[in-house]
Amino acid sequence: MPLETTVAAPRRGIALRGIAAHLLGNPLGGVTAALIIIFVAASLLSPYFLTGFNLMIIARSLAFVGLVTIGQSVLMILGELDLSVGAIGGLAGIAGGVLMVQLGLDPWLALLLCVMLGGLCGWINGTLVTRLRLHSLVLTIGMAGVYGGIILVVTKGVAITSIPGDIAFLGRGAIGGVPVPFVILLVCLAVVAFVMQRTPLGRYVYAIGSNADAARMLGIRVNAIRTGAFVTAGVLSAVAGMLMVARLGSAQPSIGETWVLAPIAAAVIGGVATTGGLGSPLGAVLGAVIIGIIENIIVLFGISPYWQSVVSGGIVVLAISFDAIARRAMAREN
Amino acid sequence: MSDLPGPVVRLEAIRKAYPGVVALDHVDLALRPGRVHVLAGENGAGKSTLIRVLAGLVGPDEGRIEIDGADALADRTLFGRIAYVPQELNLFGPMSVAENMFMPFAATGFGRLTLSRGGMRRAATALIERFGIHAGPDDRVDTISVPDQQLLQIARAAGRAAFDVLILDEPTSSLTASETAHLFRIVRELRAAGCAIVFVSHKMDEIFDLGDDVTVLRNGRSVGSYEMAAMTEHSLVQLMAGSAIALEERFQPRGAGDVAADPILSVRGLSGPGFHDISFELRRGEILGFAGLVGAGRSELMQSIFGYRPTRQGECLFEGRALPRGRPDRSVARGMVYLSEERKHHGIFPRLSLRENISLGILDQLARGGVIASAREGERVATVMRDFDVRSSSADKKIMFLSGGNQQKAIIGRAMARRPRLLIFDEPTKGIDIGTKFQIYRIMQRLAEEGVGIILVSSEMTELQRCASRIITMYEGRINGSFDQATTPADTLVGAIVGAGEKRHAA
Repeated sequence: MPLETTVAAPRRGIALRGIAAHLLGNPLGGVTAALIIIFVAASLLSPYFLTGFNLMIIARSLAFVGLVTIGQSVLMILGELDLSVGAIGGLAGIAGGVLMVQLGLDPWLALLLCVMLGGLCGWINGTLVTRLRLHSLVLTIGMAGVYGGIILVVTKGVAITSIPGDIAFLGRGAIGGVPVPFVILLVCLAVVAFVMQRTPLGRYVYAIGSNADAARMLGIRVNAIRTGAFVTAGVLSAVAGMLMVARLGSAQPSIGETWVLAPIAAAVIGGVATTGGLGSPLGAVLGAVIIGIIENIIVLFGISPYWQSVVSGGIVVLAISFDAIARRAMAREN
Repeated sequence: MSDLPGPVVRLEAIRKAYPGVVALDHVDLALRPGRVHVLAGENGAGKSTLIRVLAGLVGPDEGRIEIDGADALADRTLFGRIAYVPQELNLFGPMSVAENMFMPFAATGFGRLTLSRGGMRRAATALIERFGIHAGPDDRVDTISVPDQQLLQIARAAGRAAFDVLILDEPTSSLTASETAHLFRIVRELRAAGCAIVFVSHKMDEIFDLGDDVTVLRNGRSVGSYEMAAMTEHSLVQLMAGSAIALEERFQPRGAGDVAADPILSVRGLSGPGFHDISFELRRGEILGFAGLVGAGRSELMQSIFGYRPTRQGECLFEGRALPRGRPDRSVARGMVYLSEERKHHGIFPRLSLRENISLGILDQLARGGVIASAREGERVATVMRDFDVRSSSADKKIMFLSGGNQQKAIIGRAMARRPRLLIFDEPTKGIDIGTKFQIYRIMQRLAEEGVGIILVSSEMTELQRCASRIITMYEGRINGSFDQATTPADTLVGAIVGAGEKRHAA
């Protein structure tokens, strides 16, 4: 008998370590585990959490930050950062209001033009970063001021109301019980994740984030890809901005104000390294889901919303601490 | 060795295992004061691990380390007696030469709360003179040349406080001949003063020039320790490789350089930062060697031809058509590959896996309908790993965890896998063991015989003589000679490299 116990004990240890190693080995393991734990905990803590109505609320509000997160995560993998994504989303929304309400343009044409405007803003950011070799963090702080300032110049701080009802479906509707903005998020995520995982272009993004000089030596079109990523982020932000306008039925100058730090936090929680080359858009969006659930719990428990940023900030610190510990363990293994 | 002084450091039965590989298996090493002890072995033989164990950076799984007769694993402060100069540069770029030398300041006595800048500058000036560094104490380190940084790194380890053992891991890999000679003078001074020196190099002439004793490692085991006087180059290589290698083998492509055919590359009057008025032609099926000192402008020239660096005037014709300037992607698309000497900065993608690092160069060939075919990717990567003897427990391991030699073999394999028509190799065998070197020479020879044009930039004279059909020498940014390899004696080449005499044409 004593012999058996000494044999059995290490075997259980090995099994646990195997699971842990699998989770550590899979880049999405950590964020998935965290998501499951938070989801289960929320379900146990509040009877209202696991209801269709509440899950729909989470999905709908998640979609906007989620879309911005996709673009921001691609930029972060590339080793860049765009702090003007929120302002681009807001600017697109305001432009939509001006085109639809003040100029009376067809709402769908206006929608298209606004998304293109987002792409243009991204292209300006990308071109300035690549041509003048500016640091994207510093440049986009400036550009956030420029785009945000234009919003105020155009609106003087007043919302543009009575947006045509044609596009309301995009913000408020549901397909088979799933909110439309969430469906759009899933479609965009699927496209971007596919490009990042399965195409040469996606691989080049990781390569540039890992070593941009080596990428250029290998014949990869580093500047074109960088600019393209900024354009993608601008387009996705503009889509989020337009969906928000459709949901609110008015173009608020405050749209996008909270879309700057949350996507970066979500990406970091989801395993995207701030130094580039690591992570995935899927992980980043899972990070956004975690933040969304936590914000929801705060509301369900009637905790003051002022606590929200304390909690989500704390989660970021926890997430990167776990990540750093896991990485050190991995380095030791190697 | 009975008349020699007793060892100052003794490693016994050291074993160190990493998951999937035993890096060191019962390795013994004894270092005696006043002797230069060479560690020899192929890439992955365990030299780096042994050095890291010796320097106290890695704890062994088993074994005993004695420093001055005391157990160093029990009293780790004893490792302070060992000065270690790593192979890779690790300096603080934006800080001054003097600050780099004496950091941490509290330990070197130049300041606990405030810095004593005057004292530090005086002490730094003395070390700068002694080690022959071409820089002032206040110069920012990222503005001085790489060889000077290398010397600074050595001065930092060797110049301060008392130590019994100095470890030099491939210290000459970016030094010129005269800088190497200078370094060796310093090493001999230290040896005469009773210091034990551990020296790692892949260059045979350096090993025989400097070494007193040698320990040969092979596959993590110690083959034996010998006195250098009893060794020949042949016997040492044999011990390292464990099999016979014909040192006199040559790799000139047969039927090289059909003069009648159009050249694959012609460079006309090219000038740019670091080189002036360069004209030459590369023929199909030829290996064209470029010799010169470090800093002669060879790398700058090659990177400009490739389109990575700017040019001021002149043109490059690749297969008769002008190469656009400043567009390396166009050069690659047309069938050209450049392999940089700077593996860390221009070669590897540290956070990507070995598989991704290799396939990055051929993704366009691996994609089907715009999507990467994973199975094909796996096959091609496995082929490259086999052909170039890249050793790793898994292709999914991040490349930064591989040894330097294996990283180099992986990126050479990547360059070759593209099947380019023009290859520019800048110091391709830097830090690579002799067995793999010969493998790379054989592949270059085969490619050239298939009609590929190859430019080989090398600082190793023997490498150029083994492989090149013709050799062009550069001195201070200009071409000062062109030689037919077969008919040119080595001293003529060396003369041109150091800029002796006028422009010459022996070909």
